[in-house]
Amino acid sequence: MSQPGSSAAAAQATHAGTSQSVDALSVDTFVSQVITTGAAVLAGKSGGLAPKDTRDAALAQMLSSGDDPLLVLDPEQYTWGYLHILCARLSNTSPSKPSPEVIETFCRRFNPEQARLAPQKVTVLAKGIVRVAAELGNDKFALGPLYNLVTRYPSSLACLTTVHPIFVTRCVATKHYTLALPVLAVPITTIDLKLSDLTYSDNLTYHYAGGVALGALKRWKDAEEFFEICASSPAQLPAAIQLEASKKLVLTQLIIYGKTVPPPKYTNSALQRLLKSSPYGAFAKSYPLGKAQLLASIQKDLDLFTTEKHLGLIHQAIDRAPRWLIQKLTSTYLTLGLGDIAKEVGINSEEEVRSIIVNMIETDEISATISADGTVTFSDPVPQISKIDVERILRQAQEQTRLLYELERTMNANKDYLTKVRSLSLLLI
Amino acid sequence: MDIDIIEENVPQFESIKLAGKRPLAVDEAHPFELEIISSGYSGRSAVERYIQVISQCPSLALPAFQAALELVLQMSDTTLYRAVVTSYEQTAIASNGELPPLADVHQLNQHWLDDMKQKNQAQRVKLETELKTYTSNMIKESIRMAYRDLGDFYRATGDHATALKHYTKSREFCTTSQHVLEMCLSVLELLIEHRNYAHMSTYVFKADAALDATSIARGPAAAPTAPASAATGKDKAAAEREKVQSKLDVSIALSYLGQGNFEKAAQAFLKVGSVKSLGDWAGRLIAPSDVAIYTTLCALSTFSRQQIRKQILNNDNFGVYIEQEPYVRELLESYMGNRFKLMLEILERYSTRHALDLHLAYHIAALTNQIRSRALVQYFQPFASIKLERMSTAFGWTVEELERQVVTLIQSGEIQARVDRQNKILKAKETDQRSALFARAIKSGETMQVANRKLLLRMRLQQADLIVKAPRSQITGHTSEYLLSDYYMS
Repeated sequence: MSQPGSSAAAAQATHAGTSQSVDALSVDTFVSQVITTGAAVLAGKSGGLAPKDTRDAALAQMLSSGDDPLLVLDPEQYTWGYLHILCARLSNTSPSKPSPEVIETFCRRFNPEQARLAPQKVTVLAKGIVRVAAELGNDKFALGPLYNLVTRYPSSLACLTTVHPIFVTRCVATKHYTLALPVLAVPITTIDLKLSDLTYSDNLTYHYAGGVALGALKRWKDAEEFFEICASSPAQLPAAIQLEASKKLVLTQLIIYGKTVPPPKYTNSALQRLLKSSPYGAFAKSYPLGKAQLLASIQKDLDLFTTEKHLGLIHQAIDRAPRWLIQKLTSTYLTLGLGDIAKEVGINSEEEVRSIIVNMIETDEISATISADGTVTFSDPVPQISKIDVERILRQAQEQTRLLYELERTMNANKDYLTKVRSLSLLLI
Repeated sequence: MDIDIIEENVPQFESIKLAGKRPLAVDEAHPFELEIISSGYSGRSAVERYIQVISQCPSLALPAFQAALELVLQMSDTTLYRAVVTSYEQTAIASNGELPPLADVHQLNQHWLDDMKQKNQAQRVKLETELKTYTSNMIKESIRMAYRDLGDFYRATGDHATALKHYTKSREFCTTSQHVLEMCLSVLELLIEHRNYAHMSTYVFKADAALDATSIARGPAAAPTAPASAATGKDKAAAEREKVQSKLDVSIALSYLGQGNFEKAAQAFLKVGSVKSLGDWAGRLIAPSDVAIYTTLCALSTFSRQQIRKQILNNDNFGVYIEQEPYVRELLESYMGNRFKLMLEILERYSTRHALDLHLAYHIAALTNQIRSRALVQYFQPFASIKLERMSTAFGWTVEELERQVVTLIQSGEIQARVDRQNKILKAKETDQRSALFARAIKSGETMQVANRKLLLRMRLQQADLIVKAPRSQITGHTSEYLLSDYYMS
């Protein structure tokens, strides 16, 4: 873990460094320690250095020579020490804030392995970046460094870190949704508390904000998954953000499927109850109807939808209602005149219906043909499955099986699990 | 004491049934004779049927009112008398002068009311004193009888709740299962009279158990007597047992019917023994023709053709019931012969009769709908495609009406077909099973993978103890603060 170049020097310096570090820590000694000692060794004893606030105050000072330690140290080589100083300087009480360029360079160049020795500091840094951006009055500034931080810090993007939610919320707040896509594209599968000091709200916020971003980009299917993860995360009591996520989830599902999908069984049941009795539940129940009816049905709760900022989604869902009605017709009728469809769907102009149907045919939502006299003939789409598809799916399935098998093996080797099984079997005897 | 006292003893359907229904027409096309009531029923059950006629069909209200008065004045129930009078009064007011007002037809018989009140009072005091004496003497059997008599008395005077209370109270003092059986049957009669369907099954099960117990108790007792007399005794016991069993079957069937479980109701009605075995219930609670009608309608709406043939048409015992009501046989045969138009006509013709029936009224609409849908489904089954016009003549409907019916059936998934609106053709759906299977398999594979991934994440979250807990302060949920702006407004 230690820097290859300084490993020899580090071994000598440790003895010299320990005696003096305990009482008077100044930024000078810290810097010299960082330069001479390996990050791993320092990280191991940093807890005993000094009380946190005095240490931070000391580290926020300039060097006795008047130089800025952040300019003296190399961020790549001495990432661990650099991170500590940077965080101290970013704190509120610090007199001299680091310049934006310094932050940007650090995020671009830091050594992930060293940074992982100080996970709390990474969180502080991420929060500090947001604060700096706010002070600069330039919200967009935060995005670059945060993006570098979130992509470079964890060993894989599938590991959730505290930086994830901060980054994605900043993307959403500045409406730079596409920037978050590379991060959102990798589903979270690993939670490692050693990698990052996570709390449950990090997970909730990340998936909620991710859902918002994907929804804004109209990638509804992905958005649905994110909202669902947020809403169905383990909870003794549902959090407010989970309720918000379930509301958005329901609206998203109406947009994709035209109906709600029952949530996974493990979802907190109080959440479902709350949602069902809310105007959102009522809306989902009446969906899909004709546009005019739906618009009339939301009038009563218009204020609520507006204050909860869901009116946009609701209108999008209402706009798509005729499509679901048309799709329903395809399972009942073989042929229908455009006029008939217009009547069933509750749209007045045949032209509008025609354009909707043409669009639906283009996007493969229905398979139909419109003849010159305005007769629409629906046909059954025959799913074409090629050999390659089947093989691809089989491969995926095998991969899944392997993954689950591995998981079971690790579970079987788990100490907690084994003791539990043992005590249980003893009980049975 | 394992009998639950039923507190809410008001029939739950009555208010719905009577509220705001259009008056029923009785004319050439929908015949209904008061004769059906006067010859088929007696006592309270006849009066209640008259009340139904008075309130629902103004054209027969006057004769029904007179017939009801005649009956009710022979009974001792002042509440029922008032109910008859009120129902006529309301119909007369609602008829806008077509019916003579109440004052012209009948003067409230105050003399009879006072007289009856006094008599009832005296009877009650007498019975209660008896009960008190027996209780202080601690004679179990007498206490039971006193409770039973009080129950009978309250039932006759129309106080159902109190009657039920006394019947159930008598359960504590029952010494043999024969007594329990007697109590259960009394309660069942009361419940049927009052159309309290939900509670019937409880008492039927209790009575079943008691019935088994009595026949076991009797078996060994008969053994020591001479073989010849034992045989006749056994026969007698078997006949008695069949009688009770029939009553229980009727009760459970009525309870299923009342709760809208038509298939079970039909099955239960078919178990009912011969007409003779109904004993004193026939007419007092249910007429044999009722059994025929209920069974047939329930069976038509839920049974398969095979079941109908095997269990109803080839059932000698049930044949006797059908004889009571010839149109029922017509109905069954037209259904089996695929003459659906005729069947629907018969149903329509007797719709008034069905709607005026106490037990059937609430369900007749659902039953008719179900029978109609089944007929449509059966008619279409052998076809790959059919012109709607042909179908509509077979059912005697207009094409539009038929199309509406068919569309609802398609949407509810009962007919696998689609309508060609332009050419007015109904076409059966063809599915390519092979590719459908592939599509389904692939889809379920994908959902499973996604579900796996989500579950894994959930597991990891739980392992790391990242579980939402009750907030110590106001931390939870505030994360959404800076997300609160509508990003979807375009």
